[in-house]
Amino acid sequence: MKALVRTYGLGLTGIFVALVAIWILLLIVVPQIRMIERAFTYEDRGGETAMLALQIDRAYVEKLQIEREIRTLDQAAENPASPSPASPGPSTPSLLTPSPSAPTTPSPSFSAPSPSTPSPSPTTPSPSAPTLSPFAPSPNAAGAEAALSPGERTARLAELRQRLSALETKITDLEAQEDTSSGVAGTKEHYSLKNFTTMSGLHLQIFVLTLVYAFIVTICAFVICYPVAYAAATMENKNKLTIVLVGLLIPYAINELLRIFSWVMILDRNGILNSLLDLLGFIDLSAGEGFRFVASNGAVFAVMVYAYILFMVFPIYNTIDTLDKNQIEAARDLGASSWRIHTRVVIPHAKPGIAVGSIMTFMLSAGSIAAPEIVGRGMHPDWFSQLIYRRFFEADSWNQGSAYSLALLVACIVFILATMKVFKVGIRDIAK
Amino acid sequence: MTMHGQNVELSGVSMTYPNGFTAVHPTDLTINAGEFFSILGPSGCGKTTILRMISGFLEPSTGSISIGSQSVNGLGPNKRPTALIFQTLALFPLMSVWENVAFGLEARGVNKQERRRRAEELLELVALTGQADKKPTELSGGQRQRVAVARALAVEPAVLLLDEPLSALDLKLRQHMRAELKDIQRKTGVTFIYITHDQGEALAMSDRVAVMNEGRIEQIASAEELYNAPQTPFAATFVGEQNVFGGRVKETNGTTVEVETDQGLLRGQNYNDLTVGEEALVLIRPERIDIAGAGGGAGDADTNRISGQLLRRDLEGALINLYLQSGDQEIHVNLHNKGERDFGRDEALTLAFSTADTAVMRPGPMARNSV
Repeated sequence: MKALVRTYGLGLTGIFVALVAIWILLLIVVPQIRMIERAFTYEDRGGETAMLALQIDRAYVEKLQIEREIRTLDQAAENPASPSPASPGPSTPSLLTPSPSAPTTPSPSFSAPSPSTPSPSPTTPSPSAPTLSPFAPSPNAAGAEAALSPGERTARLAELRQRLSALETKITDLEAQEDTSSGVAGTKEHYSLKNFTTMSGLHLQIFVLTLVYAFIVTICAFVICYPVAYAAATMENKNKLTIVLVGLLIPYAINELLRIFSWVMILDRNGILNSLLDLLGFIDLSAGEGFRFVASNGAVFAVMVYAYILFMVFPIYNTIDTLDKNQIEAARDLGASSWRIHTRVVIPHAKPGIAVGSIMTFMLSAGSIAAPEIVGRGMHPDWFSQLIYRRFFEADSWNQGSAYSLALLVACIVFILATMKVFKVGIRDIAK
Repeated sequence: MTMHGQNVELSGVSMTYPNGFTAVHPTDLTINAGEFFSILGPSGCGKTTILRMISGFLEPSTGSISIGSQSVNGLGPNKRPTALIFQTLALFPLMSVWENVAFGLEARGVNKQERRRRAEELLELVALTGQADKKPTELSGGQRQRVAVARALAVEPAVLLLDEPLSALDLKLRQHMRAELKDIQRKTGVTFIYITHDQGEALAMSDRVAVMNEGRIEQIASAEELYNAPQTPFAATFVGEQNVFGGRVKETNGTTVEVETDQGLLRGQNYNDLTVGEEALVLIRPERIDIAGAGGGAGDADTNRISGQLLRRDLEGALINLYLQSGDQEIHVNLHNKGERDFGRDEALTLAFSTADTAVMRPGPMARNSV
């Protein structure tokens, strides 16, 4: 700290420290704590509070609709002579289903002159036309406000304003009820382990399977990457080495989603792989033969191994690169087979790199959502990451989503510690 | 354990790399069973290439190699009865000392108890008893050296190949290890082929030495013969120091030859069958030159005489180095310090040296360290 101040001055050091603090606090600590808190907070959806919240939401939606209609009417009053032909369209309330809980709902008259109108009217309703379309019989029908006489408009406005104030009273009432119900009169949000314990058997199975899948991906990645890394690290021709390394890197200049989609093109029923088999005469595509490579775990594994190959190759490459190549020659000179050279000399030396590569590949694949979603097409067993996504954005249950995320995080940390234990490497070896 | 050396025979062996560089020109070489044989030469002379061809890491471009009268062409290093000690030693840092030593046995499927027993035995041979369970990094440089020797000997090789294994050690340790290596070689009877650029190591340990330069063997001889009767200008100047005078042959007389030089007429041994009128080099070692009485006349038939002016005198204690100017040539004289006289600057001296110690050769490449 003192050295920093001496080198950069007080002002700059202050900025550094502040940035680091903000980084740690805002991007790591606070979100994590919030997530953990949410994970242990159980939200009772069937309780009174939830019902009240639903009613409040609906009242707000209705209020919005009325406000929009009032605005439209006001606009029409300002320039009654020449209403813009485009103005009624976008400004008309387009919500076709009014809230059922609103007691003052008028007759369903919100049929907008939009292309989605069930059947086109014989005379197109022009905004300035005095005759009304049969599909908009009500005088307060959308798209017809411009035709209202000033008197009718005033009446309608008064009616709407009345409904609005009634709604506002209702919202205030409901919110007051909600405050008492969640505050004193019966808390429906409370700390508990329920988010974890209510995980269904199917979800638990997916959770375990995902860890198994991620482990399989890691093993496959190692089996493929180790020979590549070894060949690259022991390559004597530096030009060739450059070509190999650049060749490994170039695909990563392309967006990850595009890379995954390119795999879909390869693996699809009419894709490159099946076409190749067709060309070689193994199958007959025109006769409907052809393997369904996509939407299987194998395809997801292949894409993931490809997606994370760099994270496995480079740590291993870096460690093997530091091995004195004479050791390999010495082992060979002493009569060791290739297998023994690798198991006794090269792999023990490359352990930290293998551990780092495995940890990264495992964590990335356990948390990956794009590959199972795109390649899997919902037809192969789900991955846990997809489940988490649905908890958050489809079930709208952030607390349970947090709980699922936390479970995955803990599983990954356990995997890291286990890997470090198995490979007998410390944090310091990994940092190297 | 029972070990015995085998002979190594190279016939017409050459090595040309894919980029067109010829590291070793066609070479015939016979190394006897149980011999301590050194290959001495400057870096880049091809000595390591020869070693790697014998060990099997390189396949010769032409020619054949046989060990113990059995051709080993096409056999990999793990199939040859050789063991190599690397310049960097290449011990396995993650294995303990005994596992290092027993690695070759492990590769041969020997069970652990037997491996351990043999490792202990070998560690005793190289005077490392009690260090079996340490890691190589916990040992000193000399001890690591001995682990490397024990590891190579564990596979009971017929030929042990050593690639400048002492170059990483400091001078004192190096001298000590020379004696140890020679001792181990004598005890085991294994053929040692020792690669070095250090003439001291080669002369001290070897039964025979081959001097190599630019992919060719210049001379194969015992240490004494190499030093006292070198056959080529390179061998003469690479091993030890030489004063070299250029000139032209004036007369030949049996084994001696008379050469006209800028320093006058010099006589010496005719090593290369020189004939009258040919260009020639006259070589004399600094320690074979004596100071003649002041004002001595022309040399007689057995003694060459050169006069010069003393430039510099370096007293090394037991030895005195004198540097003289004679014509445009600098002459180095190395004398024992017998306390007989002092040398003053710019003193005019007459040098005398025996024609039997003087070598006359056909001009050729010389080592760069010659005066």
